[in-house]
Amino acid sequence: MPSQPPLPPLLTSYLSDQRESSLTLVSSILGATSNWLVLRYLYAALGTSSSSNISIGTDELSNGAKRKVVLVSFLRGWEFWRAEAKRLGLDLARLADKQQFAFVDGLSELFNSSSSASSAPINTGSTVRTTLPLRSQPGAVPGRGPPSAVTPGRPGTESLRQREPGAVKKLHFTGHGIAALDAMEKDVISEINRQKSSMTDGDEMLLILDQPDFLLAATGASMGVGATEMAEWVTGLQQQVHATVLTMAADSPLIHNASTSGNQLSTPIETEHAAFAIGMAHRAWSVMQLRTLETGAARDVSGVLRISRGGGWTAEAEDNLGERELLYYIQRDGGVRVFGRGES
Amino acid sequence: MAPVNLSHRRTHNLLLISKLLSLRDTASPLTLLQDSLEQPATPLIKEYIRRAKLSKVHVTFIAFETLKKPDGVDAFVSTRRKSPADIAKEVAAAYQPAATGPSRHPGFHLPSFLGSFIASTGPSAGKADASLVVTWHQDVPALPQQNHYSPSPLPVLTYLATSIITLHSFSHILAQKAARDRSLAAPVFGLEEEQDGVLLGRLDKLAGTGAAEGIVLELEHRRKSGRGVLEWYLLPPASQYSPQHVKEVVTLLDDNVLYNPPMEPDTNPDDDEPKSTFELGLTDRQRRDREGVVLPYFDAQHGDGPGEGGRILYDMGEEDDFDEEEDEI
Repeated sequence: MPSQPPLPPLLTSYLSDQRESSLTLVSSILGATSNWLVLRYLYAALGTSSSSNISIGTDELSNGAKRKVVLVSFLRGWEFWRAEAKRLGLDLARLADKQQFAFVDGLSELFNSSSSASSAPINTGSTVRTTLPLRSQPGAVPGRGPPSAVTPGRPGTESLRQREPGAVKKLHFTGHGIAALDAMEKDVISEINRQKSSMTDGDEMLLILDQPDFLLAATGASMGVGATEMAEWVTGLQQQVHATVLTMAADSPLIHNASTSGNQLSTPIETEHAAFAIGMAHRAWSVMQLRTLETGAARDVSGVLRISRGGGWTAEAEDNLGERELLYYIQRDGGVRVFGRGES
Repeated sequence: MAPVNLSHRRTHNLLLISKLLSLRDTASPLTLLQDSLEQPATPLIKEYIRRAKLSKVHVTFIAFETLKKPDGVDAFVSTRRKSPADIAKEVAAAYQPAATGPSRHPGFHLPSFLGSFIASTGPSAGKADASLVVTWHQDVPALPQQNHYSPSPLPVLTYLATSIITLHSFSHILAQKAARDRSLAAPVFGLEEEQDGVLLGRLDKLAGTGAAEGIVLELEHRRKSGRGVLEWYLLPPASQYSPQHVKEVVTLLDDNVLYNPPMEPDTNPDDDEPKSTFELGLTDRQRRDREGVVLPYFDAQHGDGPGEGGRILYDMGEEDDFDEEEDEI
């Protein structure tokens, strides 16, 4: 199969055209993850100058404005994003050096108290074992965070942090409720401001929040974090940037068990997650919904992407991006083909 | 409720919605807008603001989840990390220059906010002659209560509200009506589909052509007398009229051609004949003659004798040509 352009032509205008102070919600399910779409957002914002496909990203070149991106990831480490972006031809480490990109790690040390993290900058394989019980100590749901992703990722990120100090900012959840979220917000905002310091007029800052619902799931009401607090947290970050992209899980149990139509009892996490996700969809300018085919697995289709207008959409002029439903296929080499139903 | 005839409803209820949307004479001090992901309240809020501008009403926008100040709003109050008392104070300060103001709080799902906010705006709404428009997202699940003995926010709001407007998407209403007319189960959209990974069902393609655009408003208004009014309205999309349009744009849903298509001619009992190039009807004379025919079984009942009953009685018409030979056979 031929290699695909980094930005699927059908999606280019959706990915590169971000309205001021808008929120884009990317919802994913277990069988259709949003990583590829997040990478395309990264590429649409950062990749045009370094790639040969200049014709695709004419948007930035026409007005001469540069884009900066801050990526806050709660489910994936720096290694993952760096490797995946490299497959698209995007060198995130170099862009971070050029102050165009910043990565905020919300995974590696989220529940490590900051003192232990600073006192033990070099974690070897043997100390990982001792830190694992530490992780579950502050009341995190055991087995909720993917430990397999943490364990191999840790030595890599640690050595990387030594190489490039300041490239990876790590978030820590310490304390309780809003105070803890405020501290994390301050961390992210400081990273945003560091980027802003090198910004010229007309530059746009894009914030990508990858799966903040993990934070909600891992803390919950016992630690004073609920859907309302999370939504407030997102609002606080939104105020600082030009546009925000938010990815979130929308699997059926997390959304529909707490729905008003069903009268079965739902667990707190189901209620909170549904309230958070639906509330975000109400605020969003557009909602990108990823799901698998209803008819089962197919050899040449990975999933369905439905682009809808969110609750925050308002009918304004020069908005020609309609709602549509597309199919996508992720190839073995990481390239993504996006096409309409019935097309190939 | 007894069916009120359409022209009566047209005059009275259109007047009512016009009064409510223009916030005249504080017809409704607290209006509750119940929206969903399938039909957000933003277009209706815009319509409120547009009408307020036309009648030079001061608009205060209390934003719980909006970042950018919408067009035409006089005062914008952001509520992030503010106590309910502070918000009330800020809103009261914004009231000072002008008299009236509708305000909006989207995402009103914080019980502690709710109670104190209603209590605190109550007196200020009274003295400043204000109307409050509140948005409630129907599909956001209710979060667990801190106090189990207090009612949840939605019942409190519906109890307090003087009018409740529930928003529906017109294309969905049409699809559901089409299914109902065929005695099929009504289709559901978006979250109610309960499909994995689907939050929103709205798609341009589903809506079809521009004809089905618009918002259906299901209004429940409580009059001062205590009598309730239930009515369904249609608000056309904002692109179909100019922002300076003064005349009423809202129509009754029953008056819409797509929702209530005009009676087709064949359902009219007066002319139930099939269409053809032949004249299949009878003239008056033909009908008279036909009624004059005595059918054989009437004659047979006389019992005049064997062989007599049941014979064919035939009166020669003037156009009949008597054929001797045929009669002999």
